[in-house]
Amino acid sequence: MAETTTLTETETNVSTQPPWNVIVHDDPVNLMAYVTFVLIKIFGYNEKYATTLMLQVHQQGRSVVWSGELEKAEFYTQQLQFHQLKTSLEAAE
Amino acid sequence: MKIAPTLEGGIRIDAQSPEDWHCLRAIILDANGWETDLASRLGGLVTDEKIAEDWQDIVVPDLREAFTDALHHVYASVEAASAFPDDDESPIWITREDADTWYCALNQARLSMEEKYRFGQDPESDPANLSPVRHEALVRNYFYCDLQSFILRHAMSL
Repeated sequence: MAETTTLTETETNVSTQPPWNVIVHDDPVNLMAYVTFVLIKIFGYNEKYATTLMLQVHQQGRSVVWSGELEKAEFYTQQLQFHQLKTSLEAAE
Repeated sequence: MKIAPTLEGGIRIDAQSPEDWHCLRAIILDANGWETDLASRLGGLVTDEKIAEDWQDIVVPDLREAFTDALHHVYASVEAASAFPDDDESPIWITREDADTWYCALNQARLSMEEKYRFGQDPESDPANLSPVRHEALVRNYFYCDLQSFILRHAMSL
C-alpha cells in the first residue's frame, strides 16, 4: 500500500491598506430621530449606540460611523447618501 | 388640512382648501428649487482622488434617479388626489411602503430650501421680519418638517 502524506499550508493575508472612515456630517435639516433610524437600518446598530453616534454628529459636527475596508466603506457611504445624510469617505490616518 | 394615521400603519392626508393643495404641490417645486441638485451636492462630499471620479460616474446618477423617482411618486399622488378636490373619498394615502418615498421627497424639499434660504443658520429669526417670500418658505418648511416627523413616527419602521 502506498503511503499518503498530507501537507497542510497555512497562508495568512494581512491587508496593508489603511482602513477607511465613513463620516456623517451635521446638517440643519435631517431630524435627529431620522439619523438614528438610518444608522440602525443600515448598520444594524442597537438604538443606544446609534443615538450616541447621532449625538456626536449633532454636537461635534461629524462622526465616524464605521471604519474598515474600502469596498464596504463605499457601500455604506452610498447607502447613507441614498438616505440623504451628508456623508463622506476618507482614508483613516 | 387633516393628517391622520391609518389602522394599516400608514397616513391619510385630506387637503381642504386651495392653499392646502398649493402647499402639497410646492414639495416638488421646493425640491427642485436650488441650482445644484441634491445628488450632485452629496456626490461632491466624496473628494478622495482614488474614488471621486467613479463616484461621480456611477453613484451620483443612481442617487439622482432615486431622488427623481421619489419626486415623481409624490407628484403623481398629489395630482391624482387633487383631480377630485371636492370628493371626500379622494385623500392622499401614504402606505407603509410609500413612507420612505414621501420622506425622501420632503427631505429633498427641505434640503434645497436650506441651500436657498439658510433657515438653519438663524433658527431664531423673527418671522415678522422676513420678506413675504421667505416667510412663506419658512411656513412650508415647518409644514414639511412636521409631516416628516409624523411619517417617521407612524409609518416608518425597521
